[in-house]
Amino acid sequence: MALSLPIESTIKSLRYQIASCEAQLQDLRHQLADAENRAHWHTIPFESLSHDMIGGVPGDIQTEFLAVLSQNGERRRYAKAWPLEKHEYKRYGRQLIMPEVGLQGQLRLKTSSVLVVGVGGLGCPAAAYLAGAGVGKIGLVDGDTVEESNLHRQILHSTGRVGMTKVESATVSLTQLNPTGEYLAYSSRLTPDTAIEIFQSYDLILDCTDNPASRYLISDTCVLLGKPLVSASALRTEGQLMVLNSPPRPPGDILGGPCYRCIFPKPPPAESVVSCGDGGILGPVVGVMGVLQALEAIKIITRGIQHPDLICHIDIDKPRFQTNNEMPPNPPEPPSLLLFSAYSNPPFRSIRLRSRKSKCASCSAQAIVTREALTSGSLDYVQFCGIVSPVEALSVSERISVDNYARIRTGTNPITGTEARSDSHTLIDVREKVQFDLCNLEGSINIPFSVVSRTSVFVKGNSAKDVGEEEWVTKMRGLPEKKPIFVICRLGNDSQLAVGKMKELGLDCGGRRWVGDVKGGLKAWRDYVDPEFPEY
Amino acid sequence: MTNPKSPAGQFTLLYFAAASSFTKRTSENFSAPVRAADLFQLLEGKYPGMGDKVLSSCAVTVNLEYIDLDGDDAADGDLMIKAGDEVAIIPPVSSG
Repeated sequence: MALSLPIESTIKSLRYQIASCEAQLQDLRHQLADAENRAHWHTIPFESLSHDMIGGVPGDIQTEFLAVLSQNGERRRYAKAWPLEKHEYKRYGRQLIMPEVGLQGQLRLKTSSVLVVGVGGLGCPAAAYLAGAGVGKIGLVDGDTVEESNLHRQILHSTGRVGMTKVESATVSLTQLNPTGEYLAYSSRLTPDTAIEIFQSYDLILDCTDNPASRYLISDTCVLLGKPLVSASALRTEGQLMVLNSPPRPPGDILGGPCYRCIFPKPPPAESVVSCGDGGILGPVVGVMGVLQALEAIKIITRGIQHPDLICHIDIDKPRFQTNNEMPPNPPEPPSLLLFSAYSNPPFRSIRLRSRKSKCASCSAQAIVTREALTSGSLDYVQFCGIVSPVEALSVSERISVDNYARIRTGTNPITGTEARSDSHTLIDVREKVQFDLCNLEGSINIPFSVVSRTSVFVKGNSAKDVGEEEWVTKMRGLPEKKPIFVICRLGNDSQLAVGKMKELGLDCGGRRWVGDVKGGLKAWRDYVDPEFPEY
Repeated sequence: MTNPKSPAGQFTLLYFAAASSFTKRTSENFSAPVRAADLFQLLEGKYPGMGDKVLSSCAVTVNLEYIDLDGDDAADGDLMIKAGDEVAIIPPVSSG
């Protein structure tokens, strides 16, 4: 509502324009630096350059350059004498001097392209470290805009860029961090019709998304196109990390790494999937997972992503690495699932995974996931993972609007016709206790939905005492019959299910007591009754 | 969560993510031995509803190694979980 005010939209538009100009300015600075750098080299005669090379550069380093250059098929760079730009030696110096990276690793980073799907809590730190490390091209896919509630963990975005698309905002940040990279923004959600086309122009994919359907789609597309995949996820205090389809062999090749379907062949039931918005997330928890994704990506790229087949022929290359005093490339690691549980001891557990599953729907010889199936839409990922339709569990007579409920609290009760009194009814808030403690309506009683939903309904005939009725049920039974019970929650879904459960438990006294829910929950309360009620 | 050593004759089961939310625990001990294929039934008995709501999509590991319990003819269905083993129930986490 507030955003539709003209002043708000002016602010939003100005912020957006400023950010765009900043990005443009950064780009111009980069172009200028590049041009100045080239002008400098043009002033030096080529003879003196090659003289320097012969006279001043040790033979083994020269050999290494030549080996690296010829390997990357970029002989034209030889004319510039140094394989990296001058500023790049400085910028990447701290990682360049590590044997795990070295010149060859840096050149591989520079010529590599990584697609980051999802620019949220995982994608932001992942993309930041990849851009910082000098990955040449980073693609960013996300259909969302920046919200204030993202900022505690989505470190590429900023307060000034709330309302801007996440991909635009991230591009501004990454350009400021490292203007040498190329950043491509895809400002819509990944879908089966777009996945193959987008993935095709990248060497490596990072799954930083937030839902099961995207995870299966991304994994399937990576298998079909032969791209390694670094997949991570996080919720509350826990995270998971896997390097999948690495090495990226064709479906049916048992030497290839397992895919997401090998590990999790069945999606979780849709109604059990919890988002960060509902379940919560600690910034550093998801941050750790995103940073680890960047680390795995760097390991894969510096090992030689462009030629995954060469990994098996390390021995052939060995003499060259020895003459250059360079460490032989690390062999690919066996597949593993890293579990992070921030409040556990130990916080990290690494699970050894199997190779590809012989009956995998995606990467085995019996694969049913094909390019045709993907592009034709016959693989319905949303259907596969299930849809949570809005809860419509109650009839009209079992529900009350927030406006009418407000009148019960402050005016005339539309149901009983009596004047409002604080003790005229019972209000049950079924949000979890921690949310209830954040903010609640005066006089409401907290019975968390998790407690309500796990309460068993006993068969008639068993007396409550015999089976040990839960305390909250006993307490509610004791409330006077004439007082209606209103149930409220955050959004108006759990409240309906709770009312259903209470009726099953006989808390409506066989219909003599009105038990119903407040439609739309506390969100509706804030939207239509009390704008001061906190939004979280 | 701590990693308690399982008492004699028992194995330790660790619950992650949704499994931990459902059981309201992070770990628990059970009497060994248990056939891997019977593990889910054992849990469903103790936590009614857990099979459909949580376990159907979970990965299971024994001593930090993934085991395949997918389908009736699962590769590791006959594996015996022994006393002292650390077994983990790992639901897929998809948010981020």
